[in-house]
Amino acid sequence: MKSLSALRGAAMAALFAVTSLLSLPAAAESAYEAPLPAEINSDPDLCKHVPCAEVVPGADSFSPRKGKPAYVEAYRSEGGQKTLVGYAFLSTDIVDIPAYSGKPVITLIGMDTKGIITGTKILRHSEPILLLGIPESVLTKFIKQYLGKYVGDKIEIGKAREGEAMIGLDAITGATVTVIAQNQVIMRSGVAIARQVGILKVEPKPQIKFAAVNDTLSWAQLVDEGSVRRLTVQPEQLGMPRAAEPYVDMQYGYLNTPSVGRSILGDNGYQSLMTQLKPGEHAIFIISNGSDSFKGSGFVRGGIFDRVQVGQDMDAYTFRDLDYLNLWGVKAAGAPAYKESAIFIIRDPGFSAAYPWNLVFLANKRDRETGHRDFVSFSDEYWVPARYIEGGRPKVVKPDAPWLKVWKARAVEIGLFVALLVAVATVYANRDALTRRSTRKNKWPVNAFKYTFWIISIGFVGFGMLAQPSITQVLTWFHSLLFKWQWELFLTDPFIFLFWIFIILTTFVWGRGLFCGWMCPFGSLSELIYKVAGAIGLKRFQFALPMKWHNRLKWIKYAVFFGLLAVSVFSMGLAEMLAEVEPFKTTFLVGMFNRAWPYTLFVAVLLGLSIFIERPFCKYLCPLGASLAMPSTFRWFGLKRKQECNTCKACAVGCGSLAIDEHGRIDHRECMHCLDCMVLYTDEHACPPLAQERKRRTKAGLPLTPIGKDGYYIPIKPVPAAKA
Amino acid sequence: MKDDIQMNQVDAMPDPSRRRFLNTAALAGLAGAGLSVGLSACNKQQPAAPAAAPGAPAPAAAPAAAPAAATSDMHIHLKPGELDTYYGVWSGGHSGEARVLGMPSGREIKRIPVFNIDCMSGWGITNESKKVIGTRPDGQLKYKTGDTHHIHGSYTDGVYNGKYFWVNDKIHGRIARIRGDVFECDAITELPNVQGFHGIFPDKRDPVDQAVNHTTRVFCGNEFHIPQPNDGHDVDDPKKYYCLFTCIDAETMEVRWQCKIDGNMDLVATSYDGRFAAANQYNTEGGAHYEDMMSAEMDACVFFDVARIEKAVKDGKSFTIGASKVPVVDGTKAANPDPKTALTAYVPVPKNPHGVNASPDGKYFICSGKLSPTTTTIELAKVADFLDGKLDDIRKAVVAEVEVGLGPLHTTFDGRGNAFTTLFLDSQIVKWNIDKAIAFSAGDKNAQYVVDRLDVHYQPGHLSATMGETKAADGQLLAVGCKFSKDRFLPVGPLHPENEQLIDIRGDKMVLLADHPVHPEPHDFVMVKRDLIKTKQVGTLEDHPMALKDPKESGVFREGKKVTVRIASQAPAYSLREFEVKVGDEVTIYLTNLDKVEDLTHGFAIPKYDINFICNPYETKSVTFKADKPGVFWCYCTHFCHALHLEMRSRMIVRA
Repeated sequence: MKSLSALRGAAMAALFAVTSLLSLPAAAESAYEAPLPAEINSDPDLCKHVPCAEVVPGADSFSPRKGKPAYVEAYRSEGGQKTLVGYAFLSTDIVDIPAYSGKPVITLIGMDTKGIITGTKILRHSEPILLLGIPESVLTKFIKQYLGKYVGDKIEIGKAREGEAMIGLDAITGATVTVIAQNQVIMRSGVAIARQVGILKVEPKPQIKFAAVNDTLSWAQLVDEGSVRRLTVQPEQLGMPRAAEPYVDMQYGYLNTPSVGRSILGDNGYQSLMTQLKPGEHAIFIISNGSDSFKGSGFVRGGIFDRVQVGQDMDAYTFRDLDYLNLWGVKAAGAPAYKESAIFIIRDPGFSAAYPWNLVFLANKRDRETGHRDFVSFSDEYWVPARYIEGGRPKVVKPDAPWLKVWKARAVEIGLFVALLVAVATVYANRDALTRRSTRKNKWPVNAFKYTFWIISIGFVGFGMLAQPSITQVLTWFHSLLFKWQWELFLTDPFIFLFWIFIILTTFVWGRGLFCGWMCPFGSLSELIYKVAGAIGLKRFQFALPMKWHNRLKWIKYAVFFGLLAVSVFSMGLAEMLAEVEPFKTTFLVGMFNRAWPYTLFVAVLLGLSIFIERPFCKYLCPLGASLAMPSTFRWFGLKRKQECNTCKACAVGCGSLAIDEHGRIDHRECMHCLDCMVLYTDEHACPPLAQERKRRTKAGLPLTPIGKDGYYIPIKPVPAAKA
Repeated sequence: MKDDIQMNQVDAMPDPSRRRFLNTAALAGLAGAGLSVGLSACNKQQPAAPAAAPGAPAPAAAPAAAPAAATSDMHIHLKPGELDTYYGVWSGGHSGEARVLGMPSGREIKRIPVFNIDCMSGWGITNESKKVIGTRPDGQLKYKTGDTHHIHGSYTDGVYNGKYFWVNDKIHGRIARIRGDVFECDAITELPNVQGFHGIFPDKRDPVDQAVNHTTRVFCGNEFHIPQPNDGHDVDDPKKYYCLFTCIDAETMEVRWQCKIDGNMDLVATSYDGRFAAANQYNTEGGAHYEDMMSAEMDACVFFDVARIEKAVKDGKSFTIGASKVPVVDGTKAANPDPKTALTAYVPVPKNPHGVNASPDGKYFICSGKLSPTTTTIELAKVADFLDGKLDDIRKAVVAEVEVGLGPLHTTFDGRGNAFTTLFLDSQIVKWNIDKAIAFSAGDKNAQYVVDRLDVHYQPGHLSATMGETKAADGQLLAVGCKFSKDRFLPVGPLHPENEQLIDIRGDKMVLLADHPVHPEPHDFVMVKRDLIKTKQVGTLEDHPMALKDPKESGVFREGKKVTVRIASQAPAYSLREFEVKVGDEVTIYLTNLDKVEDLTHGFAIPKYDINFICNPYETKSVTFKADKPGVFWCYCTHFCHALHLEMRSRMIVRA
């Protein structure tokens, strides 16, 4: 016994040491059944007992409890002047939502005057699961997700669903009841206070007025008219092997509608149900088949059904065990057999059946590769058919999907950006016209365009639109391709989205050089610095690495790319952290002076080196370039070469990308499409074979025919004498 | 079987030889010096008369009792998660309790302690339950025993409304009410001057105000006649003993009135129009010993004209007995010579009848003959005619009296015109058609009123079809309470369980579906369609005046030697981790379960103080005891509640 307890003591100590090393300091002190002063619930001076200042940063004084439900105002004092900076409130003052344990998680929430959540702190919880299995820091981390979120937004657990204005939060696997409850606690508390203080203005939706329709329908008729709808989830949608039987196959409907209620429950059943409902309460029924249960067992422990809920606008209505009634049977003719059934009652007056609502099924999705469990939700929209509503369905303006909102909001910039991309591609497609006009001494016909595009891409694309493509997007793609492709994931940033279309197309048509050499904001910045430095007299300090070293070092970027790809398989988070090897985030997205000094230093070194070496980052480090270089092997149109290029070194000497090898071959994986060699190609003074021919013809008094597509003077072929 | 039915009705049986033998033997016995042939459940001797009749041919009764039965596709073996279709509400006999069974599976869902003491729930231990059961001045329970026989539900428009069920205690003459929304007993009333309270039936409609189309009264039959008041006088003169028929108010549970009658009463029935209550009488002789009780060839079924009785009470034509303040009217024949004003009518029925049951069409009461192999069908309209002076002879109200088999006890209905009667001695159920029985009695000897017979195992008492005693009798399932199980279950020593058998009655043929052992000994039961019952999921905090609304209200409150301890329970903890009292204190502990979660019941046990009880969500329970032992007493939760259930405890510290 003694040794056992000693062992346990040691284990506890070790655990404590590890958690205190790994976790945030706040998590080290457990909130499990933390003793709270009794006055916390009643004392007008709430902030005497709880750390209000922690959740409203910057506030230094707080009002007594006010309002119903109660909250406190948070003030900042400046020069004797008190300004209202936000609100703090105790969850249990506002909502009574028990979590897994059946007891509420007592949470202190801070919100600024615009309704942005500024802080969350768990004062006390009774969740055994967080004591026994999952570290409490996970819950602390979970509620940190609310920081900076607007209480008026629809925030739900799980991934955002397509076509709905909703912000998804990462759940805690194994503690779904806790987080569902906690999400409701925070959002409902926030909304309640935001409404009270006037941040949110909410008009209650009018309740449904049923038209005088009262017929008895068969199951098929109910399904046809949309009074009974279906929500099916297949096992593969949850990362399980495909199976003949769906995971759940729910059919459901709204029972208050007289025709539907009577058809499903029979006259007596409908009457009996309606007498049990108070005014403003609603009943839905669900029947279900499938390999799993829509009820689950969460309601057994915490009283909450954690697999189904009803959503309407930003509100989610969960069902407690006390909102459940037995569905004794379905009277409608032709109703299917079912394994499981329920009648759920929505008691919240905010719900209106006159408007569309969703039945939501919540589940765990298992990532087959990593075994990681993710919280996902599936939903189906229900709207009482118009014929049952007096005056038909009310007009509903549905909010655009977030990505669509962004596209609409930035339509002008998007238009300009598309024009830019088209312009770049058009210019490059007509590069021959430009290179022919250029000579080794005067490359302006090409460079005028290229430098313009550089400047636009640095200023407009990079700093303006923050549209710097990154290796993380490539990694995300890989994962999306392998697991689940979600357009909305990519559509949320229209510039990146369009940019990638451009990149993919041009890479396969011409090679990656067009993006890297002409459009990449960081690459452009890097080479622009090199060019400017050269122009202002630093040319003598500029150099290229010897080919021998270049040929070795250029492989680093491939190693970086594959390293990141490998890491991302195990941890996307870590891969994203390691992707800081790209200076893009520091340069454009965050700003060089908004980051910790090592990041800034890194960017400074790279850009500093660019003064002396052309594109050092692009050549040796850039994993994005590496990832694009590989498909460039399969470009359709390469740059042109002549037979003499095998021995002639003229282009190679001038190749800033060091992409031309000793045999004169252009490595399209390294080529930045500066087109210098193409200028030479038609430059009758600079291209050795052409110059030789020019001299020969001049000597021989032959005419200088135009230079053909093959880069040679069009041969002079004596026309056979016309036959007499 | 077709051929059998073509034969004489009485012989239409699977085993005529056995049937005939029993018939003659039994009748011989009854006609003789009152030889009991095992018709009493108290006579535990093997009732198999064949053994006592050496001359008879050996009947292969048991093998013949297993006919190549018709098969049933009724779905009675429910899949996991599947719910039953009916609530079976069962009495528990001398276990003193009532039970809820799911039907058709036969699964026991709940035991409802009523007249007994139950240390699982704390019934008889908590102050609240003691108050319902009744206590002596010293706070001890008045009675610890009870014998529940008959259980019936409240009606609206002739169909169960799920509000109440009533069950009797035969031993002490008490009636208990069970709330249909929680299936717990909420009131017990002791009937004054009654011993052997037997039958019970709620009314279905108000006889005075026809607009009140639901149960407002419950009628109670009285089996044992006693000197009135039973204070020691007239003990040696049984002729002066008499019985009282009692009417209870369904809501207040107070006794409205009693009616003195001739003879005794067993089962009770009520009419759908509210006018009549009736009780069968087996001892119209007023005998004190059983041979005297079956000396007369005819006994009776006594009808009560409820409206007339209540008018008499209103008019002050009543008296009181002893200390009881309840008005008693005289319903004896001598006091009611004129049918037009009579409070009662005694319909002659052969020889010690037992059950009386109202047909779903509202037209007939059917009395089962017990010692007579007949059922007696009484047409209510004719009883009404008699009492209205339109019928000269009350016996003419009997429209059918047909032989059905030996020892008919109780009857139920399928709502399709058929009656099902238990034959105790024959160990059979007989299915017979009421209209055809009436036709047969009217002289149509070709009327084949027996539809089917089915052997049951063994010696059935009550039977009940689904919704059988309502207008909505649906003729689906029949349960029969067999008093003897004999060889039907694994033997567990001398005491055998009873055997509740389930029978599919949807077709012409009855099909035996299942045997279920039951703890002795349910008598009566009803099967109520599940959608008629609306139960509460959790309690209502406000229902108890001492409920803690908030754990903060917990504490120890002392008033001299009287100490009140108020505790809330919220899984997995009591609001008081410890509380202190002193030796000699009278301690009352109030426990409120503040977990508003369905099925989250907590227990509270105090070692060495002989206390345990449970407290359902949002309910409050209390116990009072004398702190007479100093020390530390770990109170703990006995009802599994939480992952940390084991840790849910509190120290009661009793200081010396």
